[in-house]
Parts: sequence; structure tokens; C-alpha cells
Amino acid sequence: MSGTEFMTLRENADIKIIDVKTDLSSYAATDLRKVLENLLTEKVSKVVVNFSEVSHINSTAVGTLVGIAKRLRQSGGDLKLCNLASTLTRTFNLIGASSVVEIYESEKSAIAAF
Amino acid sequence: MEKACFELKVPSDVFYLESVRAFIGKLSETLRFSKKRIADIQLVLDEICSNAVYHGSKCVSCGIHLQISVNTQALEIVVSDKGGVNTHNWLSPERLAEIQAKRSPTGESGHGLYLIDCLADIQKFQLNMVGGTDVTAIFYRDVE
Repeated sequence: MSGTEFMTLRENADIKIIDVKTDLSSYAATDLRKVLENLLTEKVSKVVVNFSEVSHINSTAVGTLVGIAKRLRQSGGDLKLCNLASTLTRTFNLIGASSVVEIYESEKSAIAAF
Repeated sequence: MEKACFELKVPSDVFYLESVRAFIGKLSETLRFSKKRIADIQLVLDEICSNAVYHGSKCVSCGIHLQISVNTQALEIVVSDKGGVNTHNWLSPERLAEIQAKRSPTGESGHGLYLIDCLADIQKFQLNMVGGTDVTAIFYRDVE
């Protein structure tokens, strides 16, 4: 399991943590989907995505996260997001995706929520 | 300030949309939009251009055309595509209504048009003469 140009992967016990290193427009969203699909293939069920270095997200990336979160829950796991800038949280809220994907203020609280 | 108009032709590849987003961000900053509003403008442009590339382009070289107009009261963005392989006039009024009706917060797609609707002060979707779609978004400037 490895990261990509825009994402790096870490572990905390059985939880995989993705650090997103770029703004998530349509181009980078493809990379995000690839990383998350790989984790699903590897039967990883608990994932945290850290957005501390992200200042923009579009609907393609939000849709990707929503879809993966639903699939992880079907296998008994979950996807949690942390460290979102207020503009990002607003995008999730406008779409209504914050009712599907859990958002936490810090990585610590996202991990503790599993 | 005089009226100003910028025109850009961008390859139909999402790889290049980062540069477009950076340009509109800098222009909006120059026009003294608030940080929150700049984020809105960038997101709306990202959504319009992504749709034009994914649905309104037959190939990378077809390109999408951006016309950005500024006056004392507003910033207006018009993105024109030429129509996709099987999606000429992909955003017909019927298709637009269908996408809007089907959108669900728990769905993976269909959110881009909704965001444009939420964030732009005025938005228009029109079929154009070459079989594509013109999408217009207008953002009013704060009057000082």
C-alpha cells in the first residue's frame, strides 16, 4: 500500500490515515478515489482523511468520499474526515454530505470516534 | 474602473483547471471580493468547467471557452463547451430538471449544478449554436 503524488498514507493501529497534500478539484479527486479504492481492495475498514493542507474541494471529491464512506460502512467500518477549513465544511453542508460523512475538528477526535 | 473582459481557451482536460481556478481567485482578490466569496467563485468556476470538460467535450483539443467580464457592479463568467460525443447540448432544460430532481445528499453525483445554483447570484444555462452549452454565473461586487 502506498500513497500517490497528492496523498500520503499513515497508520494508527488498525486505522489508515490519508494526508491530502493538495486542493481537491476534479484532477486530484481521481487520485483520492484511487487511494481509497486500493484501501477497500486491501480490506481496510477504518479510514481517516486529514484535510489540514486542503483549501478547496469540489463536488466530485465530495461525491467520492460519500460513496466510499457508504461502502466502508457496509463492511463494518467507516470513513471520517478531520481538520477541514470552514470553506470546505460549508461545501459539505451545502451538499448535505455532512449527514453522511462524519467531520471532526482534529485527527485525534476522528480516531477516538472509531 | 473601466469595464474589462478576459477570454481564455482551455484544453478539455481537468489537469488545466487548477490554473483557471488560480486565475479567477487572483482576479477576485484584485476586485476585493471577501475571502469567503472568492472561495465561492472558485468553486462555482471549478464545477462549471469540470462539467464542460466531462460532459461537453469530444476530445482534449476541443477545448472550453471562458469569457470573464468585470464592471463596477459584477463579475460575470461564461463557460462555453461544444458538446460531448453523445451529449450535444448536454444541459438541456429537461436534463437540468432531471438532474436537479434526482439529486440526493447521499448520492455521489449531481451536486455540481446544485452548488452553482446555491453560490452564484445569478446562473443561466443555455444551449449554444455549436451544439454545446453556455453556462453563465454572475457574482455581485460589494458596493463601497
